[in-house]
Amino acid sequence: MKVAYYSPVPASRSGIADYSALLLPALRERIDVIVAEPGRRAPRADVALYHIGNDPDAHGWIVDAFERNPGVVVLHEFVLHHLISGITLGRGDPRGYLDAMERELGVAGRLLGLGVLDNLLPLLWETQPERFPLAGTILDRAQGLIVHSRYVADRARAAGYAGRLWRIPHPAWPLREAEPATDVAGEPLIGCFGYLNMNKRIPELLRAFAALRRRRPGACLLLAGGTGERFDVTRRLERLGVGDGVIRLDYLPEARMWSLMRACDVLVNLRFPTMGETSGSAIRAMSLGKALVVSDVGWFAELPDGVALRVPVDEYEVPLLEAALDLACEHAAELGAAARAYVQREHALDAAADAYVSALEVAAGGDAVNDAVLWQIAEAAAAAGIDDAGALAREAVDAGIVG
Amino acid sequence: MKIAVCSPQVPFVRGGAELMAEELVAALRARGHETELVTIPFKWYPGTRVLDQAFLWRLVDLTEADGQPIDRVIATKFPAYCVRHPNKVAWVLHQFRQAYDYDRTELGQFSESAVDRATRRAVERLDTVALGEARRVFATSANVAERLRRYNGIDAELLPHPPQSLPYRSGEQEGFVLSVNRLDRAKRIDLLIEAAQREPSVSVVIAGDGPDRARLQELARGLNGQVEFAGSVAADDLADLYARCLAVYYAPIDEDFGMVPYEAFLSGKPVLTTIDAGGPLEVVHDRETGVVVAPEAAELARAVTYLREHAEEASAWGRAGKAIAERVTWDACVAALLS
Repeated sequence: MKVAYYSPVPASRSGIADYSALLLPALRERIDVIVAEPGRRAPRADVALYHIGNDPDAHGWIVDAFERNPGVVVLHEFVLHHLISGITLGRGDPRGYLDAMERELGVAGRLLGLGVLDNLLPLLWETQPERFPLAGTILDRAQGLIVHSRYVADRARAAGYAGRLWRIPHPAWPLREAEPATDVAGEPLIGCFGYLNMNKRIPELLRAFAALRRRRPGACLLLAGGTGERFDVTRRLERLGVGDGVIRLDYLPEARMWSLMRACDVLVNLRFPTMGETSGSAIRAMSLGKALVVSDVGWFAELPDGVALRVPVDEYEVPLLEAALDLACEHAAELGAAARAYVQREHALDAAADAYVSALEVAAGGDAVNDAVLWQIAEAAAAAGIDDAGALAREAVDAGIVG
Repeated sequence: MKIAVCSPQVPFVRGGAELMAEELVAALRARGHETELVTIPFKWYPGTRVLDQAFLWRLVDLTEADGQPIDRVIATKFPAYCVRHPNKVAWVLHQFRQAYDYDRTELGQFSESAVDRATRRAVERLDTVALGEARRVFATSANVAERLRRYNGIDAELLPHPPQSLPYRSGEQEGFVLSVNRLDRAKRIDLLIEAAQREPSVSVVIAGDGPDRARLQELARGLNGQVEFAGSVAADDLADLYARCLAVYYAPIDEDFGMVPYEAFLSGKPVLTTIDAGGPLEVVHDRETGVVVAPEAAELARAVTYLREHAEEASAWGRAGKAIAERVTWDACVAALLS
């Protein structure tokens, strides 16, 4: 079976590119995969697989290809407002944006969209995208949906998606033998990796870290990743007076990131609001057997007790985060071992690749199989004088024969 | 208790699965249960026919018969275990292996077309649903249990079934190796014939019939009576063959269970098998209850020669096997199935 595979791939700098770099070799051991490229003719294949995330620069061409030839969608995050606005408004297509808003909220959505276009309302994709996910335009045409979490599966169903859906956990990276970096240190060293913005709760993390440092003066916080334009980490550090306890690094090459992660005692991956994403950084942390502190939202909330410390996002977030960091430092070895065992069990790469193959095989031929079985049943019914074979067809679906 | 034993039937084909179902019915009846064998013809080709046939079982209503409730359904094999019943117990002898380990081998049936791939997945999904409905799932061998766990995520309890009732006895061995099997390619009887070709002192009796018979007879031509085809044999004659043989050959490709080793053991005979035979390896242990070799004619020939030249040792291995086989009883099986 041939699969046309649409995804950003390295050297594109994105979590989804990293994901595909991890998944593709395992998929290629099992099926024939042709990786599509932007600007090139669409590969001929039995089924097309579209990896869709929220970045219009990385995924705009993939959505274009998907609209020409629908297929199976891997929905890496549920909130796609930024993507949809980018491929509509960003391309001079306000009508497309209004249509997407109307799909989401009816006439009220269209009016809100008009408010944005007329500069009467703030840009929704920057201020509150989670309230208007705009995933419907993708879900409407998907011939199958792959998600990583129950959270996204539930939201897709709640949005009216009734087609085939597979939940395939984000695979874990094979354990790297990278040596821990020696140019960073702390007693303990706490790491936060990934693109740094307000959603990553960096202000709350800094406040919790400042409090922790009063108890653990040797503690050091490593903040590694690019920042949003309007997010000035340096000024916040100065204001909190923890500048000397924080190491700030920009976007890191893969090998360097693994090495730094390995050097950390505890890793933090906070999120709110969530866009429904699964965090590659959190999966990496658990793969390395590191104690992990996360927000108790979205996919992160699905991590079992004992595998990660989950901090609720509420008025007690900062003191609870401080306590969680302290606890994680105290029990880093046990938490890390539990995390590693969990990802080895639930996020195995081979299992994920097998699940992809299963999903793609069903997506490619499932409808034809259903038609063939139902045809046989209908034919037998018709021969017995039962003209309306709908009841038998429903029986076949209920019985699990077709699906 | 009123019990329906469900088993598919391939018209004009009779093998271990059919025997198992019949013996189960007999064992249940002997213990006072009102028991009926329920069967539907099974054809698994072409294309999606395998799913239509499974659908037949889904439509069968065995909750009651003539106004009397049926207390339990015991199903033994795909697609019979697709039957729906609130008290269904699956005692899995076989899944539809073309959708599993036979896939993409010469024994498989699904091509690389999108429809065939999806049909295979539909069988897998149906098994997961149908077996998931059962109040208990037993597997006749660790091999079957492992396949259920790996492909369907179902934890099955191990419950081997006793071999067919024959007047088993041990007798003086007369030097021949006995093969008892349906004659089809997966049973690899050709390997034994090739061993006889290599080693003139190897003498073979092949009991059973099947679609591969003409090819096997052609393969054995010119061996001057070294290989005898006995065809289908009556129970007494089969027990007699077991009693008189040197050893019993049983080396299908990754067999799920296989009653033959148990029958050999109850006759006090060692079993000659191969390292890739699957289920039989759970009871045939090299130089303990038989000989396990690579699936090559030369290896088999050497093993037969060894057994003939070390008759006392061979006999001791047969006796060790007998102790294992005697532990598998209908009392234990019925107790588990009705618990």
